[in-house]
Amino acid sequence: MTDKPDFRELVGDDLEAEERARLEQVHDLLVVADPPPELPPSLLEPAAEPTGHHLVGLPRRRTGALLALAAAIALVALVAGYAVGQRGNAPFPSIGTVKMHGTAAAPSASATIAVGERDPSGNWPLKLVVNNLPPLPRHAYYEMFLTSDGKPAASCGTFASGERTVTVRLNVPYNTRRYDGWVVTRHVRHSNAQPVVLTTFKSDSV
Amino acid sequence: MELALEAGRGLPTSALRETIHAVGVNEASDGELIQRTGDGDGDAFEVLYRRYARPMFGLALRRLGDRGRAEDAVQETFASIWRAAGSYKPERGPGGPWLYAVARNAIVDRSRARNEPAVETPETESGEPGPPDLAEADWVSWRVHRALEDLPQSQRTVIELAYWSGLSQSEVAEYLNIPLGTVKTRTRAALGRLADLLEEEFG
Repeated sequence: MTDKPDFRELVGDDLEAEERARLEQVHDLLVVADPPPELPPSLLEPAAEPTGHHLVGLPRRRTGALLALAAAIALVALVAGYAVGQRGNAPFPSIGTVKMHGTAAAPSASATIAVGERDPSGNWPLKLVVNNLPPLPRHAYYEMFLTSDGKPAASCGTFASGERTVTVRLNVPYNTRRYDGWVVTRHVRHSNAQPVVLTTFKSDSV
Repeated sequence: MELALEAGRGLPTSALRETIHAVGVNEASDGELIQRTGDGDGDAFEVLYRRYARPMFGLALRRLGDRGRAEDAVQETFASIWRAAGSYKPERGPGGPWLYAVARNAIVDRSRARNEPAVETPETESGEPGPPDLAEADWVSWRVHRALEDLPQSQRTVIELAYWSGLSQSEVAEYLNIPLGTVKTRTRAALGRLADLLEEEFG
């Protein structure tokens, strides 16, 4: 790993002088610029009504689709019929399990989420058993999210994966009826590229 | 634009109009979007938001040093843009610097409201960058972050991994599971596109 990229390594030696100078100016700006920040969930969409000023004509949000998809997780996890999933080494009394499959970013990966009983405080314990996730570079990690409208919406925790099979305990402190599935994304420091590597959805179009 | 019109040939008139409107909004310059926002066009405002939410959050984070306050500042800034868009005069300059000025003022106002200076003025000389240097750094990051928003995701990813994740080109290729040649092609294309955008200054 290097701190700052070498301009010559990036563009090669076969550029004309004028184009080379033009690209090098951009390179110099990129080197001094801060990393672009990750937007918090509250800023992913524009506010429908900025403070005190109604925005006439703003597109309506896809609330209908969200409502239609709501409770899918509850169906998967709760209507599973209190099957007892006792997989893995340590006993984990679960009320249901959910399968995840690898996306194009990790085609051979798979996972099983065992959902435990909700405690009186509102926590849903999860046991995640992951197989064949690609190894991570330094400063990288995986993160599991509940999804809303198919998009990562609420974090269930982070984990690393250095072995063929990894078992981690995670937690959902949310009302799961608001969400429609799970995905696992891969994160590298200062990068907004967070490819989905595991999903509960049939297609990879997350 | 021609493609959108071609594809819409068989659409009902209303759908065709929406297609043309959507393509027009997405291709409009920042200045045109500000003017349309001033006329109450919510679609134009939303495109501006998508282009500038991240640069504004970066600027607010840098000046305020707190994610919660930065989030509030971004929301307030876009409310200010909605209110002030009608006062934008394109003959005085392109939209990008106007938006930067609105954002900077909103962030400074927010700091003043809490009696906390956005940028401390050092009383004695030190090795730390002074206000002019900080302002220059703000402006550079703002322009770069804004330009990145216009890159295709595949090009943007290789730039982010190379410049801010510390990965070599080979490591980027391995991480994305694509050939090294593809990484190099995308990187060069991304730098070229960024150069175009930065030369235009988002006018």
